[in-house]
Amino acid sequence: MSGPGDERLGDPGGEAAVLGSDRLALELRGIRKSFPGVRALDGVDLLLRPGEIQALVGENGAGKSTLLKIVTGVYQPDEGTVRVEGAPVAFASPRDAIQAGIAAVHQERNLVPRFSVAENVTLERPPLVGGHLIDRGAMVREARRWLDLLGLAVDPEMPVARLSMAQAQLVEIAKALSLRGRILLLDEPTASITPHEAAILFGVLRRLRDDGAAILFVSHKLEEVFELCDRVTVLRDGRLAAFDADLRQMDRNTLVTLMIGRAEHEVDLGARAAGGAAVADPGSTPVLELRGLATVAGARDIDLALHAGEVLGLYGLVGAGRSELARAVIGDLAITGGEMRLDGTPIRVRDARQALERYRIGYVSENRQSEGLILSHSVQANIAVTVWDRLRNRLGWIAGAREQAAVTPFVQRLQVKTPSLAQPVGNLSGGNQQKVSLAKWLAANTRVLIVDEPTVGIDVKTKHELHELIWELAGHGLSILLISSDMPEMIRLADRIVVMKEHRIVGEIANSRRYDEMSEAIMRRIHGEVGVVPGRAADGVMRDGAVSVG
Amino acid sequence: MRAATTVNRPRGRGFGPEWSWLAGIVVLECAVLALLEPSFLTQFNLYVVLRGVAVTLLVAFAQLVVLAIGQLNLSVGAIGGLVAVCTGGLMEVWGMPTLPAVVLGLLLGTAAGFINGALTARTGINGFVITLATASAFTGITIGLNNAEPFYDLPARYVAFGQAQLGPIPAIGFVTLLVVLGLAFFFGRVVMGRQILAVGGNARAAALSGIPVDRVVIAAHALSGFLAAVAAILLMARLGSAQPSIGSDWLLPSFAIPIVGGVALAGGGAPVLTTVLAAFLIALIDNGLVLTKADPYWIQFLLGAIILGAVGLNRLRTVAESRDARRLGVAG
Repeated sequence: MSGPGDERLGDPGGEAAVLGSDRLALELRGIRKSFPGVRALDGVDLLLRPGEIQALVGENGAGKSTLLKIVTGVYQPDEGTVRVEGAPVAFASPRDAIQAGIAAVHQERNLVPRFSVAENVTLERPPLVGGHLIDRGAMVREARRWLDLLGLAVDPEMPVARLSMAQAQLVEIAKALSLRGRILLLDEPTASITPHEAAILFGVLRRLRDDGAAILFVSHKLEEVFELCDRVTVLRDGRLAAFDADLRQMDRNTLVTLMIGRAEHEVDLGARAAGGAAVADPGSTPVLELRGLATVAGARDIDLALHAGEVLGLYGLVGAGRSELARAVIGDLAITGGEMRLDGTPIRVRDARQALERYRIGYVSENRQSEGLILSHSVQANIAVTVWDRLRNRLGWIAGAREQAAVTPFVQRLQVKTPSLAQPVGNLSGGNQQKVSLAKWLAANTRVLIVDEPTVGIDVKTKHELHELIWELAGHGLSILLISSDMPEMIRLADRIVVMKEHRIVGEIANSRRYDEMSEAIMRRIHGEVGVVPGRAADGVMRDGAVSVG
Repeated sequence: MRAATTVNRPRGRGFGPEWSWLAGIVVLECAVLALLEPSFLTQFNLYVVLRGVAVTLLVAFAQLVVLAIGQLNLSVGAIGGLVAVCTGGLMEVWGMPTLPAVVLGLLLGTAAGFINGALTARTGINGFVITLATASAFTGITIGLNNAEPFYDLPARYVAFGQAQLGPIPAIGFVTLLVVLGLAFFFGRVVMGRQILAVGGNARAAALSGIPVDRVVIAAHALSGFLAAVAAILLMARLGSAQPSIGSDWLLPSFAIPIVGGVALAGGGAPVLTTVLAAFLIALIDNGLVLTKADPYWIQFLLGAIILGAVGLNRLRTVAESRDARRLGVAG
């Protein structure tokens, strides 16, 4: 589609025919979106004006990505209106959104690895000759223009598969710019590029803004938000915490407070009883200990000690490297340095099988559907999978009754709601699926259990059941490493909280179980010291960002 | 999928929809043929149908066990030909008695499958490419060994077994029956069988659950080679000669039968029972065309139509099931 506005944006020489600034480029009102068991967005508004950069911030799971996916036509809202330049729209697919002039850089890479840089940049709208044939010369020229603008010196004919993460990220941005949309959405565009590249990108974005583009900038890096953006919208738990606020009248502390809010009034489990249950003794030899561990995923100098009966929390923003660390522990990712000890003895875990059978370390994956369960198989088969070897009789086969007997106690204990043990797991609700993926590790009788995002997309009631279960298990001596991006969950469950940022540990905090105090302490460790001298704080964080890995 | 979920299914529900559909069609076919062609019910005709099924069913199983891990084996026929010629050669040229020759033939088929599996698991190259290549290589050996000549001088008792019958039932059919029971038990109760289904259902989840995925992939391919070898050895006995062309026409039925039987091509299921019914369904159509003296080339066309029909039906059923399931999941 070629509209009259096409030549304007991103064309530094073009006329800056700014639309009437009273007219909104994009307007979302009362957006609601639910997924089974969760309300992702609950009455959210968003405004984008031409010639303005709006920031969208919030914690993990606050609903930012869902909101973006609604604007780009990936999801359809359950309720609410979306208007583009005043006219109501209903995007059925991302294609519709592109046609309406909305270009987006998503958090995930959307490049075709075998295609060249130029082919990728012009993928959505390749230059044509005679209406049907691709004009390769024009394609390369077009791509080079956007690459030059972003200061990316790569050959447009090179396949994208040979680019680094940072280069691929910039190609993704070039691709969005080449659409010359009136509306540009960027979801964590600086996650894998260096501060230098980010500075060039910000220059481009400011120029686009001055040419009249409406830009939405989503980032966890607050220093970038303050540096680049004009206004800010804050999401918290799918609701608006701040709407279209002027960033010049806001400081870092206020923004962080808006993001984390105050403690939600949820059922508190209280402190874990010191008597009766085997609460961790910090003086004892840790069950699992990591010393200066480094992995191929980029983790460095990881020191961690997990004691018997302890729930150790591992908090961090998405992409901090927590799941990768868990995978390294079970031998699924290579360890490149440091050592791992079990009961004080150094061990090397070859693969998940050895982790389970020899060292009795289990990993409950955050992707229960793609990695945790076999959806087409029965509840019974899914739970028993870890113990088949143990269940086989002298003739080498498994008696059905024996398998059933091995599985039933866990189905009952976790209160898995299923019509029968033969029910395919794919037919269960998300919460019950999660219970099954946990049950199989309980059946395996592990000593160390790494639980990754156990309650994502799970309803409140099941969430509480799972929380109580985690404590009960720790009470019986199981050592649990809890990975969660859900701050209230972390503070409710963990005995100690280790904070990770960019594949390193940036702090360890004993859990006081006071939400305000804890969330603040955690966020300070992630976002750097807040409230000292603002300029210096930002410097520190930027230096931190410079060592980020690809 | 089916095999795993039949475990502990409440009584009365075992007669699942897929089962009854296929059984119904097979019964209907028999009724129609019996009415139209009196010669259908003769002992000889039934024997012909059964001896055909006895071999094609094994061919279908050889493919089924690889489909169960979500891969495919294009070399099923090539392994059959290789095993036939080598076993025949052992018998004729070396004068080896039946039993050791058959055992070596089975080992050869298993080894050929093992090679497929090991190459797939170790290199990570798609099984399609690996088995396409090994199919060509095995066929080359088969033809080269005896200059494309068959071996005719097989032990008399071996050939007699291949042609023996008990009423309308061929003796080789009992071997196939044993394999049917063995496979059903294997996928239902034996750890390796369950692990094959788990790997096919979700290889990543299986690996994280401590299942040795590579070993399981190799085992599935080796089992496939073994089953192809059993088919070849039975067919040889029936034909009374070791033809190098054995297996050359196995590719289509090896896929058609499991697909009509409702196997999930993505892996994770090994519906042994419905595969048996599907083998009969196709064999009866074949037989009907022969009896009615229809153009034999129509069988090719019909087979294609049946595959498309079966896949379409399965798709409809999956959509309907997942709709039901969603309702159930929310309610549960």
